[in-house]
Amino acid sequence: MTELIKTLTQIDGISGDENKVRGFIINEIKDYCEYKTDPLGNLLIFKKGKNKASKKLMLDAHMDEVGLIITSITSEGFLKFNTVGGIDTATLMFKKVRINGEISGVISGKPIHLLSKDEAKTLPKTNSLYIDIGAECKDEAEKLVSVGDSAVVCGGFEQIGDKILSKALDDRIGCAILIKLIKEYDTYDFCASFSVQEELGLRGAKTASFSLDPEYALVLEGTTAADISDVSDSETVCNLGEGPAISFMDKATVYNRDLYNLAINSEVLCQPKRAVTGGNNSGAIHLSREGIKTLAISVPCRYIHTNSSVADLRDCENAYKLAIFMMEKILSGETK
Amino acid sequence: MDIKETLFALSNCDSVGNISNSADLCYALLSQYMPVKRLNNQSFVGFLKGDSDYTLMLDAHIDQIAMIVTDVDDKGFLTVQKSGGIDIRTLPARRVTVHGKEDITAVFCSTPPHLSSGEQKYEDISKIKLDTLLGNKAKEIISVGDYVTFQETAEELYGDKLCGRSFDNRAGAVTLLKVSEYLKDKALPFNVAFLFSDMEELGLRGAKTSTFNINPDEAIVIDVSFGNGIGINPEESGVLGKGGMIGISPSLNRLISKKLINLAKENKIPYQIEALGENTGTNADAISVIANGVKTCTLSIPLRNMHTDSEIISVSDIENISKILIEYILSGGVMND
Repeated sequence: MTELIKTLTQIDGISGDENKVRGFIINEIKDYCEYKTDPLGNLLIFKKGKNKASKKLMLDAHMDEVGLIITSITSEGFLKFNTVGGIDTATLMFKKVRINGEISGVISGKPIHLLSKDEAKTLPKTNSLYIDIGAECKDEAEKLVSVGDSAVVCGGFEQIGDKILSKALDDRIGCAILIKLIKEYDTYDFCASFSVQEELGLRGAKTASFSLDPEYALVLEGTTAADISDVSDSETVCNLGEGPAISFMDKATVYNRDLYNLAINSEVLCQPKRAVTGGNNSGAIHLSREGIKTLAISVPCRYIHTNSSVADLRDCENAYKLAIFMMEKILSGETK
Repeated sequence: MDIKETLFALSNCDSVGNISNSADLCYALLSQYMPVKRLNNQSFVGFLKGDSDYTLMLDAHIDQIAMIVTDVDDKGFLTVQKSGGIDIRTLPARRVTVHGKEDITAVFCSTPPHLSSGEQKYEDISKIKLDTLLGNKAKEIISVGDYVTFQETAEELYGDKLCGRSFDNRAGAVTLLKVSEYLKDKALPFNVAFLFSDMEELGLRGAKTSTFNINPDEAIVIDVSFGNGIGINPEESGVLGKGGMIGISPSLNRLISKKLINLAKENKIPYQIEALGENTGTNADAISVIANGVKTCTLSIPLRNMHTDSEIISVSDIENISKILIEYILSGGVMND
């Protein structure tokens, strides 16, 4: 799984521009299932198992990552941008970016020497930042970049013990788990969506869940872990190395309590998500049509939505195991 | 000598405190062209002999900004302090190298979204912890006093722009190497000392003791200065690619400034003027008042994003500064003025 996560994180695919990620995933899964791409770009999967499932289950992982979109090019050849998805300005300043998967640039601004005392203590407005690609004028820049192009903050993959450090762990970890499930799980039939535009407000999952029309859904995600220095135990939300986080409620969803209890009481190492924060594709899926029983299995990530997110490989493995446990229960008809 | 290759090599390793990889590499490169001797700490100087006792010293500082570990906690998080001017607002989610028993990658904590309270103040670097990802094993590898450096690898941008860490002042070091390569076999009107000085970022310290040791008659400091950008006052910055910035300031020697400008004009070498009302903020401020005093000037490379891990320069500016310096030295500097 590590190699798969590594490869997936280093493919650039901001919300609305997931083509390269989808292309890679299709290549991985095409021999194992039926698939099609819907009008928004969701990759919809039907995986035939050895047995017909008692209940129709949809799995979901989103392909998109947070990033930047180029909005204008200045006369000096600098690029102005908007953020796509929620990004803390502090994590953007003076970072290397990659535009269209190939052009290097740096998010630039005033050096510390030229800041007033107040400026030095506060973050600038994101819209005062700009990307420098080395072009000396607008014409030069336009040879390389167009308004509307996508960019990501560079963040290579590193493994340090059980920990992994990379950009886009949210949600390429989910994609990796789902790819592995499609390849390896064949007891019962199931369907799945590799969804687009999650970071823009759960947009892809809305149409995907309508198309697939499931009775149950399992969302494979990454979620904030604040198990860092100076944060009290009650505020960490979840901790790396203690298994995937299982949500009972977040800002977008009240999760099906039977599914929650089943997961939390399973033999697989997992932990409750100890906060009502954030949201994921469950928010769109659980309200699809007449309503869908939904559970999210989230791998804890420190510094989520940055180019240096950190997760624990053991949590990824346990998320995979827990997904199989839940699939067995749901697909065999054991759940109410 | 290829400017880009040399700058990348010097930028991709570090020199601060007890870490000397970049200074050692620079020492080896300079030793190809002339005898070199070590001075205090990491400073070193190479000499080319000329036809008189008069000595011109060229200076580029070889140290860099960094951080230093002041605490290692049981969960594997470090507290650090600054060693030089670091913009702490830019640290969250930034990767750095901790030079412990082995070099390890660590990442500065960013504030989790549910704990961020809108307008956050960035006043105290000790509040931004550094995550080693090592948990309780961190203490086995990292000790208080270990240095922490940026870790971006240098790369090319469009045209002749290059981007990387510690270009302040490895770009200056490369300029000196370029000049020394050209002058190594030339007949020189006076002695030229090539000083690579330590601890500039802590307050021009290495240049003080080294200049006392070398005792030059005049000096030119090659350092970086602010490059142009959005929101940056054009009067406070130079444009990348328009040539080196010749310093004029009350604390600098006017004759040297004037001669550098005249030589640039005569030889059609692009240059810009950096006029300053105060001290220069470079080693020139220290060098000019050593011992009996030294006639000193600055020649600066415009650089964007100063003191970040993604500083940007134009190769042509280094080439053009090298050309002006070579003309200046071969024409005798201000020895007879």
